[in-house]
Amino acid sequence: MSRRGREAFSSYHPLVNMLYFILVFTCGMFFLHPVCLLLSLSGGLAYSVYMDGKKSLRFALVYMLPLLVLTALLNPAFNHEGVTILLYLRDGNPLTLESILYGIAAAVMLIAIIFWFNCYSAIMTSDKFVYLFGRIIPALSLILSMALRFVPRFRVQISVIADAQRGLGRDPAHGNLWRRARQGMRLLSILVTWALENAVETADSMKSRGYGLPGRTAFSLYRLERRDGWALLFIVFCAAYILRGAAAGALRFVFFPALSGVNGDLYSLTLFALYALLCFMPFLLNLREERRWKSFASKT
Amino acid sequence: MQRGSARTKLIAAVVIAAALLAAWLWDGAAHRVPAPAVGQDQYLTDPVPAGRPRPVEPDAVAAPGAERRCSLAVRCDTLLANLELLEPAKQGLVPADGVILPPTETIFYEGESVFDLLRRETRQAGIHLEFTHVPLYNSAYIEGINNLYEFDAGELSGWMYSVNGWFPNYGSSRYRLQPGDTVEWVYTCDLGDDVGGGTAVGGT
Repeated sequence: MSRRGREAFSSYHPLVNMLYFILVFTCGMFFLHPVCLLLSLSGGLAYSVYMDGKKSLRFALVYMLPLLVLTALLNPAFNHEGVTILLYLRDGNPLTLESILYGIAAAVMLIAIIFWFNCYSAIMTSDKFVYLFGRIIPALSLILSMALRFVPRFRVQISVIADAQRGLGRDPAHGNLWRRARQGMRLLSILVTWALENAVETADSMKSRGYGLPGRTAFSLYRLERRDGWALLFIVFCAAYILRGAAAGALRFVFFPALSGVNGDLYSLTLFALYALLCFMPFLLNLREERRWKSFASKT
Repeated sequence: MQRGSARTKLIAAVVIAAALLAAWLWDGAAHRVPAPAVGQDQYLTDPVPAGRPRPVEPDAVAAPGAERRCSLAVRCDTLLANLELLEPAKQGLVPADGVILPPTETIFYEGESVFDLLRRETRQAGIHLEFTHVPLYNSAYIEGINNLYEFDAGELSGWMYSVNGWFPNYGSSRYRLQPGDTVEWVYTCDLGDDVGGGTAVGGT
């Protein structure tokens, strides 16, 4: 079941979406504290599963779990640092607990970022991206959004071409290998011709409408509402508080030579709590929206 | 206009091709295994001073022979004066007197190398040791002992060994132990100059 269409966080202003993801990516890629890693992973996973349902969960179990195991095994094969020697490998180097745990931590970080990127691609659609960056970097943002747009368009167009060819009696799925290969090549050739022509047309059309010229205005559906203001305030506060705490070493954690880091003091606990709130922010917004919708629906 | 731009393109193409060729040659030069200089052996070892044992290739040694005695010590006292160079997490690894393994009478088997001795003794004493084999020098390279690694105290720091007070100018896998040898592994913070072994790595 996919909830992408009626997702609450995507209805916020693009600036809120973008700043949120930038903050989550930065924190997710730099905080090595196990608590932070788990929060980042569970936040990304919860949001991803909320949006894409079973598909996302299956992806996690089929691809991400083996990745976790693989890195946990691979890191200690090349890294022998750490004070807790479990046993000795065949070449004589030690296998240490710390290197295994570091491998797991690195894998968790990678997996969390993959899930966050899945959420990012669902929320930051290309129209939002162009809205944000169209003024600052018009050429690059147009190219990016066109390139990203090409993938689904190609998929649609290739089935259109295949249908038309089938109507002509040139089914690319029938006949012997040679015939199928030739039909496939013809299909590809038509597709590439169409894509090139289409790109030129798009470029011409954008140019004739004055894309990138100074003083050009653009229509957009986005307005900074009061709730966007609150969300922005929350994100900026989180960024300031958490990044300041991280700079002050309140999220410090080292794996080598022995595991050590902050774990109990009050300041760190406030940082963890705020980071948890940040990671689960879109998820909580959705829950609130759903409850509100249900209470409205039950009143009528 | 048209001709001019074609010429510009041609020039650009020639420049790019030349740059690629130069990069390729440069890369090849950087990755080539250096040829031994005059007087060096095939593993780039300079002539061993008179009266000192020559290297013995580890693969040339047959099965371990009779039991013999020697002594082994591991020290890192140069770090005591350079403690601030270590990461905070690693400062606790340096013993107060800088001695990781005090001078110990141990046994070895005829034909073994200094590296074999170190590996067995650290394992027996539960001391951490990481090494890699370097084919270029046909020897093991000690990366870290007791979680104190090369470069932990600056770019000139790492582990060196001496036998009977002399720092050999070849790898520990190629030093064949003799009965009564006194082996010492020491951590240097200044490419050997602070432990008296600067000559082993090309210093004066």
